[in-house]
Amino acid sequence: MVDTTDREITAELPRFGTCTYRESEVLTFPWGLPGFASLRRFIALNLEGQERFVWLQSLDDHSVALPTADPWQIFEDYSPHLPPYAISSLDLGNPEDFATLCVVVVTAGAAEMTMNLLAPIVVNLRTRQARQITLETGGYSVRTPIPRKAPAATAGA
Amino acid sequence: MIGDDVRIVVVAVDRDTVKLGIEAPRTIPVHRSEVYEEIQRTNRAAAGEPAAAPEGAKAPAEGAKIADLGGKGRKPPAKS
Repeated sequence: MVDTTDREITAELPRFGTCTYRESEVLTFPWGLPGFASLRRFIALNLEGQERFVWLQSLDDHSVALPTADPWQIFEDYSPHLPPYAISSLDLGNPEDFATLCVVVVTAGAAEMTMNLLAPIVVNLRTRQARQITLETGGYSVRTPIPRKAPAATAGA
Repeated sequence: MIGDDVRIVVVAVDRDTVKLGIEAPRTIPVHRSEVYEEIQRTNRAAAGEPAAAPEGAKAPAEGAKIADLGGKGRKPPAKS
């Protein structure tokens, strides 16, 4: 029997080549993503050997892919306080239900990497809906430099 | 007023500076446009706009697979 509700889809992506995903793995950004307001459907991809990064690959425009990462693997004491509209719009009842990803910017030549801690992307893993949330407190920066040393090497610093 | 529930109020007037306050329901995000525009720019920079991307810097990387988000970033929201 073929499950037509969750079929496998193969896409040719300029950055990642041939990639297969299921309809149930698609993330939707119902409110758009700042800078890419018209793009609504994304998939989250890992590259072999670069498991620290999650690429948000647009399905509406295959040329768009943003690198993101789990902020806590780099900034252990990051404590975003999600505003009420974020919790209600994404229906974040149970903390187990969601994932947090922060956009990473790599400057030309990979000399420097920064992370957007001001506006984390919050994903409801149950509904697969996601939204980039601008924090109102915490004083976080959109371009927080990522220390060059691996976080494990500087733990406790 | 903007609609039924968003109010713009003058908080202070000081010579050449006017401070405005926006009162809106907690369900509506209110942000300064500079902040939003900075987030837009950062997202575009992360994606590497065609104009900014070094020519031929990256060949397609094979072996991309769907990320398991369930194991990442599970952090309860900070208590208010």
